[in-house]
Amino acid sequence: MPDKEKLIEDHEYDGIRELDNPLPGWWLMTFYITVIFAVIYFGYYQLFGGPTLDEELSAEMSSIKAEQEKTEEAGELKTQEDYLALVSNPDAIAKGKAEFMTKCMPCHGDKGQGIIGPNLTDDYWIQGDGSIPAILKVMNEGVPDKGMPPWKGVIPADLEEDVAAYVYSIHGTNPPGAKAPQGQMIERR
Amino acid sequence: MSEGRAGNAAISEKIYYDDEIVKKFIYATIFWGAAAFIVGLLAALQLAYWPANLELPWLTFGRIRPLHTNAAIFAFGGNIIFAGIYHSTQRLLKTRNFSDFLSNFHFWGWQLIIVGALITLPLGYSHGKEYAELEWPLDIAIAVVWVVFAVNYFGTIAIRRVRHLYVAIWFYIATIVTVTLLHVVNSIEIPVAMLKSYPVYAGVQDALVQWWYGHNAVAFFLTTPFLGLMYYYVPKAANRPIYSYRLSIVHFWSLVFIYIWAGPHHLLNSALPDWAQTLGMIFSLMLWAPSWGGMINGLLTLRGAWTKLRTDPIIKFLAVAITFYGMSTFEGPLLSIKSVNSLAHYTDWIIGHVHGGTLGWNGFLTFGIIYYLVPRLWNTNMYSQRLMNWHFWIGLLGILLYYISMWASGITQGLMWRAIGENGQLVYPDFVETVMRIVPLYYVRFAGGVLFLAGFLLLIYNVWITIARAPRGEKAMAVEVPARSRDVTDIGTGHRKLEALSVIFTVLLFLAVLAGSIIEIVPTLAIYKYLPQTAKTEPYTPLELTGRDIYIKEGCYVCHSQMIRKLPYDVLRYGANSTLEESMYDRPFQWGSKRTGPDLARVGGKYPDMWHLRHMIDPRVITPKSIMPAYPWLAAEKIDYNILRKKLSVMKMLGVPYNDEDVSNADINAEKQAAVIYEGLLTQDPSLESVKDTEVIAIIAYMQSLGKKTSQQGVATSNK
Ligand code: HEC
Ligand code: HEC
Repeated sequence: MPDKEKLIEDHEYDGIRELDNPLPGWWLMTFYITVIFAVIYFGYYQLFGGPTLDEELSAEMSSIKAEQEKTEEAGELKTQEDYLALVSNPDAIAKGKAEFMTKCMPCHGDKGQGIIGPNLTDDYWIQGDGSIPAILKVMNEGVPDKGMPPWKGVIPADLEEDVAAYVYSIHGTNPPGAKAPQGQMIERR
Repeated sequence: MSEGRAGNAAISEKIYYDDEIVKKFIYATIFWGAAAFIVGLLAALQLAYWPANLELPWLTFGRIRPLHTNAAIFAFGGNIIFAGIYHSTQRLLKTRNFSDFLSNFHFWGWQLIIVGALITLPLGYSHGKEYAELEWPLDIAIAVVWVVFAVNYFGTIAIRRVRHLYVAIWFYIATIVTVTLLHVVNSIEIPVAMLKSYPVYAGVQDALVQWWYGHNAVAFFLTTPFLGLMYYYVPKAANRPIYSYRLSIVHFWSLVFIYIWAGPHHLLNSALPDWAQTLGMIFSLMLWAPSWGGMINGLLTLRGAWTKLRTDPIIKFLAVAITFYGMSTFEGPLLSIKSVNSLAHYTDWIIGHVHGGTLGWNGFLTFGIIYYLVPRLWNTNMYSQRLMNWHFWIGLLGILLYYISMWASGITQGLMWRAIGENGQLVYPDFVETVMRIVPLYYVRFAGGVLFLAGFLLLIYNVWITIARAPRGEKAMAVEVPARSRDVTDIGTGHRKLEALSVIFTVLLFLAVLAGSIIEIVPTLAIYKYLPQTAKTEPYTPLELTGRDIYIKEGCYVCHSQMIRKLPYDVLRYGANSTLEESMYDRPFQWGSKRTGPDLARVGGKYPDMWHLRHMIDPRVITPKSIMPAYPWLAAEKIDYNILRKKLSVMKMLGVPYNDEDVSNADINAEKQAAVIYEGLLTQDPSLESVKDTEVIAIIAYMQSLGKKTSQQGVATSNK
């Protein structure tokens, strides 16, 4: 130990002695800085009108909503005909199928034959007419009361059309173990 | 024992220290340490490789994790603390322990409690509050044993032969006093059965009390006693004086005063009122310097013994332990900053943080102390220095693998959870995608655990051989100590004087920890009175309550949170932020601390009953990449309807608005609700007859109730 350090007299505990070193300056400085920061922080947020967590969240959510709306407006409404190209595009169908296998399979079965949710391959529809825009609509909005979750935001936007096209494409495949028809009989145009 | 007559009579006398009790606690430390590490390893494996849950109820992750945490903290940590305290205090105060009977009562009582935990936790008897899972009979036992310890300890102080208390003893006193307070306040509960109780606190109150307890279990069980041990064993092992007495004083008082306030940093961005969150954050920041005071005093005491760092494995263990203490106590305040916390909370970063502290600081300090104590207690030398060195390096590598893999895992998953694309949607909306990304890191963590355990096995072997080869039959050696003398008139001034006045010291300490406790907790006890009365919250139906108790029993809360934070990406993923009303009847609260699986606060109504049934029996049927354990036994165990009247009457007594009819018809109402769910399932699949009245029906009822009990929603809603 450097010479200038001094042992404190009388401080001896089972052979342990203590030095009389001062508090390290940088350490004390750190302590002071955190205390000053703490006072300022508390003052700003709790006493002098800094934003509350609720306010911060509301602000952030409204800018996110604005972004969501912007992208929604950008996509012009498409019709069944616009989508048909997808159905004959094997790449799109493959992507849609992959997504279907992770998101929809638990309820609609690996072949769309229906388990918890209805059979998607038959001519019977509870929601809509089985066209791609109709499938997209059920998919995005769901039927929460009937156990069909809304998928808007869960399925990436660039994949949702592929999924719908895939569902459309499995029509009439008559998979084994298909669930009994539910809903209205609607013949495909 | 004879009182030394005033001053002039006996100048010194011969006494024997009680080292047998120290040996016992050392044995227990090693035994339970091995158990805690093995169970930890199993838990780590289960997250990497779900089949390791083995489909055995008592071995699933949800039940094993509490066993691991309790064993590591209270069995491994507890026993080494007691060993070190009993060993060092006798020497620092130059007296034998106050009462051998109490010492032994303490030892055997504590081991029995551990055995009780070992049996009850895997069977699912759990309180559902982290690190306080043990049910009420064990809670009482802990209180009794702890008080015995306290009496023994303060008795020893009363008969001491050294007037002034050394800094290690300040830390021991802080531990004993504060743990009593924490344990008693957090465990106030009303029994409903032999091994089932409900806490008196609900929702946010329970959250605050629990994390006041949980955080300070870290503070006053894993920090202050270990700092006390450091203050004795580091200067002893290095044979150097303590670097700065003044630093000891300042960092001791600032540490104990500030620590107690920091609990709410476990609840940042949650529904806890802003002011409490802010207090939790700023006190955590202010805790940085007081913590580092301990590190500086430890490391600078080793200064001058640096050469030994290469030659003496004990010094290596101690120096690395102190360094990890410094890292953890820097990381802690960092994680308490609200914005950093929004990334790290609920992820494995926190798990990494904890293990830097427990494996690095507590573990390595313990190993250093064991290697220091064993040769001295058994009057011999350690069998092998080389094995000690191997233990050091293997263990260190293990910790680094653990720490680094969990950092990587936590930050990766945290960033994926919060990623929002330009279209205002989540980039990784599928939760399981974020799980798949980190599973490889779970294997790395497992490897780290294997190394840490391997090092510990070297310790066991080394200690075993050392003791086996120790000379036998030698009587303990008497030590010569100064006679007791009451007539030391000059006890100094200022803090020095306080060190001589143990009672006043203890009272001041108690006040220091009481201040923060009262200021934070008391206002929340009345909080529900001040909530806007616009929304009415429905209490759980008896069947939902049954499901909730099963949820707690299975330890679902160790993987699932029920608190959608006031953060946009939480809202986008899970729905409107959680409000205080939603959990106001939750006993215990289940806000959770980790999201290995998704938040469940609004899972009610998200999926059909059939979905839950299939998912509970085998999650992989629904989510092929899921790492959630399968719970097939839930579809076999029958619901206990009979206890429901009792449960509801306790809840009613605690202020939940059930009326007398609800209570007396509890079982009938539950059966009716279960029948509705069951019929619904049966119409979809007639082969499901066997699930009638089974626990899975109650879990489904509970899942479907989550988020549906009140109209009071958070300020922000998702786009759904
Ligand atoms: C949690 C179970 C579940 C999942 C997962 C699920 N669905 Fe459904 N789905 C249902 C249920 C139940 C219905 C029936 C709703 C009703 O009765 O109106 C349904 C209905 C539908 C319909 C309308 C069928 C009809 O007959 O009108 C379509 C289309 C559909 N789902 C597509 C999907 C797609 C695409 C996915 C994957 C992105 C998916 N579903 C995932 C449960 C589910
Ligand atoms: C090892 C951690 C773990 C445990 C323990 C655990 N889960 Fe899960 N849980 C997960 C993971 C991971 C997921 C996401 C993948 C999936 O859907 O299975 C999940 C998903 C869920 C979901 C679907 C949530 C959603 O919004 O999609 C529910 C409901 C659920 N768990 C309930 C439970 C219940 C009830 C228990 C206790 C009986 C439990 N979990 C225990 C990890 C766990």
